[in-house]
Amino acid sequence: MKLERAATALPRHGWQLLPLRFHRLDADSVVLTNLVGEHVFVTPDELGAVVDGTCADQELLARLRAAHLIQVPGERLPAELLAIKLRTRMRRLPDSTGLHIFVVTLRCEHTCRYCQVSRQSAAKNEFDMTEETAGRALELAFRSPSPQLKIEFQGGEPLLNFPLVRWITAEANRMNKEHGKDLAFVIATNLALLDDEILGFCAEEQIHISTSLDGPQDLHNGNRRRPGRDSWQQAVSGIRRVQERLGTDRVSALMTTTEASLGRAAEIIGTYAELGLRGVFLRPISPYGFALRGRGGANYDVGRWLEFYAAGLDQVVELNRQGVPMVEMYASIIAKKMLTNADPGYVDLTSPAGIGIGALVYNYDGDIYASDEGRMLAEMDDRTFRLGNVHDSSYADIMLSDGLLNPLTESITLSAPMCATCAFEPYCGADPVFHHATMGDFTGHKALSAFCQRNMGVFSLLLRKMRDDPYFRDLLWRWAQ
Amino acid sequence: MSAAGGAADAGTGAADAGAAGAAEITLAFDQATVDLDALQRSAYAVAAEMTVDIRVCGADYVCTLFPRKHDAADEELKHRFRAEVNDQILRVRIAKETEPLRNLVFALAFSRTGLVDAEGSG
Repeated sequence: MKLERAATALPRHGWQLLPLRFHRLDADSVVLTNLVGEHVFVTPDELGAVVDGTCADQELLARLRAAHLIQVPGERLPAELLAIKLRTRMRRLPDSTGLHIFVVTLRCEHTCRYCQVSRQSAAKNEFDMTEETAGRALELAFRSPSPQLKIEFQGGEPLLNFPLVRWITAEANRMNKEHGKDLAFVIATNLALLDDEILGFCAEEQIHISTSLDGPQDLHNGNRRRPGRDSWQQAVSGIRRVQERLGTDRVSALMTTTEASLGRAAEIIGTYAELGLRGVFLRPISPYGFALRGRGGANYDVGRWLEFYAAGLDQVVELNRQGVPMVEMYASIIAKKMLTNADPGYVDLTSPAGIGIGALVYNYDGDIYASDEGRMLAEMDDRTFRLGNVHDSSYADIMLSDGLLNPLTESITLSAPMCATCAFEPYCGADPVFHHATMGDFTGHKALSAFCQRNMGVFSLLLRKMRDDPYFRDLLWRWAQ
Repeated sequence: MSAAGGAADAGTGAADAGAAGAAEITLAFDQATVDLDALQRSAYAVAAEMTVDIRVCGADYVCTLFPRKHDAADEELKHRFRAEVNDQILRVRIAKETEPLRNLVFALAFSRTGLVDAEGSG
């Protein structure tokens, strides 16, 4: 018996648009996204015909209907499904704050070109956090509703105040017997001070190590300076020791792109691959401190960074084709947002912004900041994102302060000019600290924003590659899982 | 269409209003076919390339384009602005048409979170 195709065919003007946004990828390709970021590629003519109600391409209409971009009048299910997906994407919101950063010391034995916060001599103990301050910070951290609590030790170089790292870990474990949270620890270290005692402690407490590796030896040592000019050797040796003692998945590295990195993406990624690191995060330099003044290796624009990023991404894909598993971390975060309803919880790509509700920073002196970048601004005498001090602020003082709520409400992307109608809004985030630092207001003028330009560039790049390269599409799906 | 000189653009109802002064680049849009909202959104979106002054002139909105770069070609700027206006008209149209459904989805999404009750109970 022959099935009648006409039963499912939509007549002209037989569909209703669901909330959709579009972006022109190139002259003959447009991407349509729905409220939660599911997407379909069409031609400009097809977009016009779908909006006008004159499209006769039943295969296209079926794809648009499946992606909740159109519906048949009277249907209820698409709205219900979109609502469930939207709620799923925002389910972290009531469970603030998962990440608590403890700046246990400002001291550091490195003098990195791009560092804004750690210029203090390694001998000055007045830049160390005390147990009393750390104890008050822990009390505040455990007030967070989040069932997951990650405590990240930062500096300066946190291993210069290792006794306090030990103390905080023990105290957090003791307090958690009452709270029962999923508790995890991270030490962000340059690894130069790593020894057997510290390794043993990390093994015992299942601590994750996050380090910095800018690429090949000359590039890394040029950026990250220390007496002896051996930062790279210390980092590489430290990474290998952690891998051997704790396992390969317990150490990750971050790189910062300076002007000297541009044109060297393949070498940088090659260094990561040789060390057996499975992930590389191609990060631009932060627009704070020296970078705002064009120093510290920050003399490049978004266009040049995007070229660097595209070359690096190609190299990572090529390694995967050759059977070497490697993930570009920024693409994998975006892939999760593009292809699933999970929220990766990446502070820079969430709306409402991740400041305060995604992360809190406790500085060595007890001052509390809404983000690490907020702390960097304070080092430049801009205390806009200082929310209080652990010694005289309650949890309610911090979380209900104008200093937190004003930037959160003013920067929400669903109501920000340009963001509200942008096809990439579900993938993107509000970054009130960046826009305050670069433009003087929390929302920022998106047409002039380097944050917007950079992310639009990355989203467009990933979508074009998904559209044109089936291997890349499959790889991105794997990264999204 | 009240603009003098140049051909009307079928998509936007825009016409080249001609140069009022030697350095001025102007475009006229018929108020009957182009929303002021779409023009304002367009002016915002192209702010990296040009600033735009919008004035009412008879039945038209007359937009004067001020390029940020001195070497920008007039015709390129006009094409760029017309294309942006076309897109913004479409965006405004889609947003208007889908607003009730958008509100329904958001209402459904947040009606079962407990947040609404918490707000209501003060």
